[in-house]
Amino acid sequence: MAPSSSQIWPIGGGKGGTGKSFFTGSLGILLAKLGRRTLLIDLDLGAANLHTIIGVSHPEKSLSDFIRKKAASLEETIVPTSIPNLSLISGAMNALDIANLAHEQKAKILRNITKLPYDCILLDLGAGTSFNTIDFFLLSDSGIFLTAPEPTSIENIYRLIRSVYFRKIRQVLKTHAFQSLAEEAQQQNEKATVSNPDLLLAMMKELDPEKGAFLEKTLAAFSFKLAVNQFRKQDNPNLGELVCRIVQKHLALKIDFIGNVAFDDRVHNAVCKTTPFLTLYPYTQTALDLRECCSRLLSEEAASSAAQRIAE
Amino acid sequence: MKNPRQQTYYEKLEVPHDASPLEIRRAYKKLFELYQDESLASYSFFSEEDRKEILSDIEEAYLTLINTESRMSYDDGLIALGRLPEEKSYRDAAKEPVPIYHLQKKTMGVASSGRRKEELQTLASRTPAVREILSRDALTGADLEKLRAALEVPLEEIAESTNIRIDILRAMEGGDPATLPPAVYLKGFVKSYARCLALDEHAVAEKYMKGTGKNE
Repeated sequence: MAPSSSQIWPIGGGKGGTGKSFFTGSLGILLAKLGRRTLLIDLDLGAANLHTIIGVSHPEKSLSDFIRKKAASLEETIVPTSIPNLSLISGAMNALDIANLAHEQKAKILRNITKLPYDCILLDLGAGTSFNTIDFFLLSDSGIFLTAPEPTSIENIYRLIRSVYFRKIRQVLKTHAFQSLAEEAQQQNEKATVSNPDLLLAMMKELDPEKGAFLEKTLAAFSFKLAVNQFRKQDNPNLGELVCRIVQKHLALKIDFIGNVAFDDRVHNAVCKTTPFLTLYPYTQTALDLRECCSRLLSEEAASSAAQRIAE
Repeated sequence: MKNPRQQTYYEKLEVPHDASPLEIRRAYKKLFELYQDESLASYSFFSEEDRKEILSDIEEAYLTLINTESRMSYDDGLIALGRLPEEKSYRDAAKEPVPIYHLQKKTMGVASSGRRKEELQTLASRTPAVREILSRDALTGADLEKLRAALEVPLEEIAESTNIRIDILRAMEGGDPATLPPAVYLKGFVKSYARCLALDEHAVAEKYMKGTGKNE
């Protein structure tokens, strides 16, 4: 993947209704208010409604224009919003078959997103673990997972994290002719499959230290974030930390908890009025939590880019 | 991450080699909460089998390390394997209860009370002023002070050994009458005062109450 000048944050969560679009929209507004040129892209293809959440009821253009070649470039489909610094590429609203994106179309979108001249690009992904969602998620190493503190949502978040992880391993295996090495590893130890990444990694490192180290390095480049949405006061505030701990320990993935976002009935009011929640209710606990998440995200980003510069 | 089979019990519980039993218990409790059946954080992450295996692993580690004897023998095993530097192993240093604080009350150099009493009594019998005052029918605050001065006992020493406030003692010796306690207490205080001077406490108290007009 070509290095992009902008910071891309895909936002995913296995389950529908956890508030991915709400979180993406709010985060975008906060980033824009901090003076960063921010672009929101609604990639929840076939069920897009990010535009409604940030108060653009009828976007003139959408992603489908680009796919249908009505728009010459992805940049042409960008629509402004009422908030300065904040732009939007709306999800395809008119095409009914848009949810089933062909591989070339997906590749074309992926290629073009990284070329867009913005400071921050937020991708609002759909529920589920389809390859489309996962490939969009893998556009960046620093994706944000969003979950609600409920077993159903936790279950799906783990499924999504695993899918992302294995897809990455498969991608690396394919592109770097690891296949034979992986098969060899599996022959020596039948448990060393992609579903058992720790063992597979260890076996591959034994067989071919150089390639094993490469795979390890690729996986170590991930720096995921986790936010807990719809947090009610009776919920365990440490849940996010615990989930991160499990993932770090058993999948050896770097994932940091960035905060709980309080549940608020008034989110519903804001959606009904097609006005951003942060504009209608800027002084609520939920708004405060969102700001906290945003600042943690930025400080982590600053820290990691500083570390990268030192490493280089 | 290391293969769980190669991890030491310390690594399993994520505690340092010299962790105290309290730290071990805490670490175990935390891990148990994370992996137990009702834990939301690990919900659906492990199969039932894996979860049971992890839990039994943690329990085994905990039960070995929480018992001092089994922990020592486990440590010895690790040292023999070269996986634990000897000086880092845990030795139970605190076998005796550690005092939270020492009750080192500062005394003002009062010698053992028995000897002191004898000294005071001889001094009292030798001093004519003391005998003269004690032979009176009634005593005043000023008399008490004279007695004390003759026996060379500082007021602070009386305050210290009787636990009576020093301003009350001063009032008893004729100071500010407003600070004087009610008669019921006063009599007891005078008795204590007299005891400190090794005098006949009952006689002194009676005479004092008479002299100050507090006797009903």
